[in-house]
Amino acid sequence: MGGQILMNRNATAFLNNEYQELVEKDLDWKLRILESGSTPHSVVDGKKVIMLCSNNYLNLSNHPKLIQSAIDAAKKYGAGSGSVRAIAGTMKLHIDVEKKLAKFKRTESALIYQTGFAANSGLIPQLVGKGDIIISDELNHGSIIDGVRLTKADRAVYKHRDVGELEKVLKDADKKYRRILIITDGVFSMDGDIAPMDKIVNLASEYGAMTYVDDAHGEGVIGPEGRGIGAYYKIEGKIDVEMGTFSKAYGVVGGLIAGSQDLINFAFNKSRTWLLSGSHPPAVAGAQFAAIDVLEKEPQHVKKLWDNTNYFKKELKSMGFDTGTSETPITPVIVGESSKAKELSNKLFEEGIFALPIVFPMVAKDKARIRTMMNAGHTKEDLDYTLEKFEKLGKKLEII
Amino acid sequence: MIKKIGFIVNPIAGMGGKVGLKGTDGVLKKAVKLGAKPIAENKALETLKEFISHFQTKDELHWFTCAGIMGENELKSVGFKKIEIVYTPKSNKTTDIDTKNTCKKFLEKQIDLILFCGGDGTARDIFKIVSNKIPILGIPSGVKMHSGIFGINTNATAKMLNEFVNKRLTIGDAEIMDLDEKLYRKGKWNIRLFGIAKGIVEPTYVQVGKSIFESVSDDEVKNELAEHIKDEIEKNSDYLFLFGSGGTVDYIAKKLNLQNTLLGIDAVYKKKMIGNDLNEKRILRLLQKYPKVKLILSPIGAQGFILGRGNLQLSPMIIKKIGLDNIIVVSTPAKLSSTPFLRVDTGDKKLDHLFTEKEFMMVVIGYRLSRVVKLQTNNF
Repeated sequence: MGGQILMNRNATAFLNNEYQELVEKDLDWKLRILESGSTPHSVVDGKKVIMLCSNNYLNLSNHPKLIQSAIDAAKKYGAGSGSVRAIAGTMKLHIDVEKKLAKFKRTESALIYQTGFAANSGLIPQLVGKGDIIISDELNHGSIIDGVRLTKADRAVYKHRDVGELEKVLKDADKKYRRILIITDGVFSMDGDIAPMDKIVNLASEYGAMTYVDDAHGEGVIGPEGRGIGAYYKIEGKIDVEMGTFSKAYGVVGGLIAGSQDLINFAFNKSRTWLLSGSHPPAVAGAQFAAIDVLEKEPQHVKKLWDNTNYFKKELKSMGFDTGTSETPITPVIVGESSKAKELSNKLFEEGIFALPIVFPMVAKDKARIRTMMNAGHTKEDLDYTLEKFEKLGKKLEII
Repeated sequence: MIKKIGFIVNPIAGMGGKVGLKGTDGVLKKAVKLGAKPIAENKALETLKEFISHFQTKDELHWFTCAGIMGENELKSVGFKKIEIVYTPKSNKTTDIDTKNTCKKFLEKQIDLILFCGGDGTARDIFKIVSNKIPILGIPSGVKMHSGIFGINTNATAKMLNEFVNKRLTIGDAEIMDLDEKLYRKGKWNIRLFGIAKGIVEPTYVQVGKSIFESVSDDEVKNELAEHIKDEIEKNSDYLFLFGSGGTVDYIAKKLNLQNTLLGIDAVYKKKMIGNDLNEKRILRLLQKYPKVKLILSPIGAQGFILGRGNLQLSPMIIKKIGLDNIIVVSTPAKLSSTPFLRVDTGDKKLDHLFTEKEFMMVVIGYRLSRVVKLQTNNF
């Protein structure tokens, strides 16, 4: 006898319901369409704007050498790679990038992942498991958090950049766990401050813990030649996992890790994200190679980025803006209430400046802000124009 | 939607404080004789003014209140128009009966939130009638405010009211505490947990997308905590588990199908409840039989106490036997955001000192997730 069907289920109604819920709460993403390249002057939704929210810090995505190298690689090796890395998709191009990267980072070895997210969510769950603990800065980026969620390890959170609290957790964890993994962002994406990696590495060696840094916003930006957080603190090779991305300052796409040969062998044999997605097309690998080459040979880009950053920050401060604890090109302009940040962002856009508001709960309720990101491609005129508008609107909205 | 807010002012709340009476329960005449002046009216006005001037247009709320000095005067004097008088006190010398009668009307009117001005005593009177059916928010104006429903000052209370009205705060557990004033005036300290009311709390946010956070309900967080404790019990199968008092621990126990007492200490062994609402003596007897013990605690009340408020059964001797390392502190992140410190007041200075030496505790705030919280002893 057949069972009676009781439920008249609408299988996909939730798609629209949940989307509408986001729309009502104003939490849905309204995609802005870039009609130009990601350049210091971009065309966004038909309007010419000065771009302040791109991660293309060094403007390398528009560098002729990267573009040429991508074209050459595509012409020579085709549009796609044909496979995952593990089977038949590892091209000599990929190996060349990895070798060049390890040399640049001054580590034994390096490995390219499909994206930064794939690196975090693929590697972290392999490094720890049941009976282990991950100790994490409270402000770590979402992709780290997801990687952490995929593990069976316990998790403990310490106060942002608070080495004292970190040590307390280490002390507590020391006797209870098999492996201990400390994870932190290198440069924090909301505030632009830098993790005290030198101290973290010292503590870690004292307690026999591993260290893992997500240096997505530090690669190509901090340290000599933009070699990242290891170089910034002169502790190259001492961080167990230096993770980063080619999608920001390097101007391309792709995740990366740098560390010992043991780490790399372990990582590519065990990371499911790496094993189960197709490898980068030749054009991407070509551009990645050229990006590192440019960083090695043309120090002017990193220098220009910092000149712009220092000038912009100094001027904002002298106008009376609060730029928080930033030490990098990520410069938050803290305005207070969420509604004010949104209003300022809209008004800036009308004036031809594209900078997004960051509001609660991404940051504290009274610390809503406009997050600006400097670019080596901005001219002094760009910055002066931007500063003038910030001052005008800041006064109008009673922020300064 | 228009929110219905019930408003009660206990005009005599806080009068005992300045004259050293630690409360007005039963000793109002004496307080007045000693020169006590009413303060509740001003606290209520401050809060309402702050609320109006910074946050809210005047007509979005529908107020329900008592006639005269128990609420009507304050609401009118700051200019609210939509006011419904639900109860009129018999005389100007108002008592707890008036508070309770008003609350009965609030239940009938199905209001969304009770805003009151008073102390722990007023909170208890309200709770006795509305239980956990209506969330309660307190404007601190009493002598003792150990309950978890108070804003830290009038400004903070006004802000919370605004956030509640604008749906940025959610509803969660808040303890109502009870201090025996007669004993207290004799210098004895006996704060009990009176009940678990509904209060308004900061939601917990979980990052679900790159920049998208979802607020999760108090219950969802507590489900995670229950999952965590379940693992602990399975991992330590030869341990006796003592479940402390309060809403969070109670929720966890019920989730694990254990018939726990909300206000008492209960014992669980091999996933079975073996003792309910235990006093010190019975706990000590259990400790003799079961040498390996873990104690589950949660901060109780407004100041983050894990020991010494609402769980005096857990005497210093018991805590020493269990050992500090066997204490598991659980808390929703929402609760921790309002109590940046954990506090202990065991009644034994040396034991308190052992806690302070530790400086911090790892507090479980989700499934297999903990964070560092600083410890303080009761030094105020």
